[in-house]
Amino acid sequence: MKKTLQLVLLLLVISLTCQVDKTQAIDLHKASWDEIVQAADGQTVDWYMWGGFPAVNTYVNTYVAARLKEKYNITLRQVPVKDIAEVVSKLVIEKQAGKTSGGNVDLMWINGENFRTCKRHDLLFGPFADKLPNQRFVDWSKPSVYNDFGTPVEGMESPWGSAQMVMIYDTARTPEPPGSMAQLIDWIRQHPGKFAYPAPPDFTGSVFVRHVFYHYSEDVNLWQGEYTQKQFEKAASATYRLLTELKPALWRQGTTYPESPVRMNTLFADGEIDFSFSYHQAEASRNIQDGLFPPTVRSFVFDQGTIANTHFVAIPYNAADTAAAMVTANFLLSAEAQMEKAKPDVWGDFPALDITRLPRQQQQQFIDLPRGPATLSNQELQAHQLPEPPSEILIQLEKGWEQHVLKGR
Amino acid sequence: MNKRSFLLGLSIIAAVLLPFLPLLLWSVSNQWFYPALLPQQFGLRSWQYILSTAGQQITEGLVQSTSLALVTTCCSLTVALPAARALGLYCFPGKKAIGLFLLLPIIVPPLCVSMGYHLWFIRLGLAETFAGVVMAHLTFCLPYTIFVLWGVFTDYDPDFEHQARSLGASPIQVLVNVTLPMILPGICIAALFSFLLSWSQYLSTLIIGGGRLLTLPILLFALMDSGDRPVAAAVSLVFVLPALFALLVNAHFLGRQGMTGVR
Repeated sequence: MKKTLQLVLLLLVISLTCQVDKTQAIDLHKASWDEIVQAADGQTVDWYMWGGFPAVNTYVNTYVAARLKEKYNITLRQVPVKDIAEVVSKLVIEKQAGKTSGGNVDLMWINGENFRTCKRHDLLFGPFADKLPNQRFVDWSKPSVYNDFGTPVEGMESPWGSAQMVMIYDTARTPEPPGSMAQLIDWIRQHPGKFAYPAPPDFTGSVFVRHVFYHYSEDVNLWQGEYTQKQFEKAASATYRLLTELKPALWRQGTTYPESPVRMNTLFADGEIDFSFSYHQAEASRNIQDGLFPPTVRSFVFDQGTIANTHFVAIPYNAADTAAAMVTANFLLSAEAQMEKAKPDVWGDFPALDITRLPRQQQQQFIDLPRGPATLSNQELQAHQLPEPPSEILIQLEKGWEQHVLKGR
Repeated sequence: MNKRSFLLGLSIIAAVLLPFLPLLLWSVSNQWFYPALLPQQFGLRSWQYILSTAGQQITEGLVQSTSLALVTTCCSLTVALPAARALGLYCFPGKKAIGLFLLLPIIVPPLCVSMGYHLWFIRLGLAETFAGVVMAHLTFCLPYTIFVLWGVFTDYDPDFEHQARSLGASPIQVLVNVTLPMILPGICIAALFSFLLSWSQYLSTLIIGGGRLLTLPILLFALMDSGDRPVAAAVSLVFVLPALFALLVNAHFLGRQGMTGVR
């Protein structure tokens, strides 16, 4: 027993002495960019991000890590997590416990709901985005950039890339896919059991419900400005009514839903359902390349357009290596890093930059990028983009879906 | 008779190892679509990913997981042995209450336990430290260790120790030559439980370790979400193999030792 006590005490002492207090030597809000780069020299950035995409993991751990080391002597340590919301709740608890410095999270890959939670609980460092030199290539007048799901960004996060929802189908099975939401609804009715969507609040399932909601909205742009609760109720109840009515025509008669987009992709690859969809315009090509989808798979967007949004990186209020996190965020926005990220065999993510602001030669490089066999052209995609509705609408739709469609009340 | 026991042994081994066959096939497949029984195309893409790109993380995870599990096992045995001896050999009021109390960490959802710990550990400076994570793991391992050893000590006869003492053995000699050999099979099982439980902890490691300690389950869970079955299968194999190794070594050891010493 005495031995145990000694051991516990020893462990306590060791852990207490291990705590190193790192204080910021300079005030980063006032420092010049050169001073920030200097402060970042030798720091380690712990970047917490969703780790479920091997292509992104590879890009971050090889290309980005190597360049940061070589250019700024910054060590990048990726921390893959299952859901960034876990990290947000970690920060909420750290805030409660009064931990104001020396936090382990230096950078987070974030958007939408999680950003809103962070902003509401004051969990972020900033505003810092306007301090980054590469910010000049970003078009901040775009609604999907200055508003993150209806929450004003206000420099509290820095854009990293953007994504657009695309429908995925197999030309071998469905030679002529439905071109609009109305046609898709007809198709589902005519082919019972061959369509499924992940149950909200899954991110991808939720965006499908929003597309149905847009289908019943007279004007999609109405939700970006002032709208009345009555207008919302009208479109929302039509959405729930349709989805309830479609249930018997869904996969397994709608008694169950795929739990994630990944599960939907495997159902699609296994031939159980005939469509998949993704919040990532190059995913189909990527999956063909990795042998997860047959080579006959293609993607399409609805005539009325599909929802597009931006994903960001943010720095927590108590980050230990804030300067290095800022330098990293800036590097991620550089034309060079965005170019590498856009290559289909690397990741195939849309640039967060407005490429028309780049020097002509780099513009051409972006235009000349090869696309995967299943990826639509940038013009085609950009001509069919719809904005995200504000978070309040998103949350109400998710709750309403659960109440009316899932539980059938 | 011999042939029959051989067949029995073979079928048991097959039942244990067969579930790993699909994992192995997935990890070396490049293309595998319904309704093919075997992968249409074999390849080493997933192993390449694990050994080169994620190699550093996986190695770090292996080292981290192993050292956490070993330290947790040692600590939990150190605490559990005296406790189990007292519970198994002596009668005292409140014994049942203590038994119930010990089960609490298993009954209360691990998320609540971990979140509660987190707040306190931050204040104590234990969050994001190795020691903190060991303590969190101990919460989940201790009940099992104590209960296994409790059972061992219920059947244990301390008169053997008295006999050795009366024959002139020192307390240390009694411990090494009498007590330990008698309870060794029980210790092995308790240690195995503890090791495997700590090895597979996800939530408590994530919350208390806060990403500073990247164990294999954390890497595995993050990749499970990817739907990239070959990569997930390969990571699963890397995750399972050391645990399987621990199990086999233990089984081998127990098989030789038998349960002869217990009664």
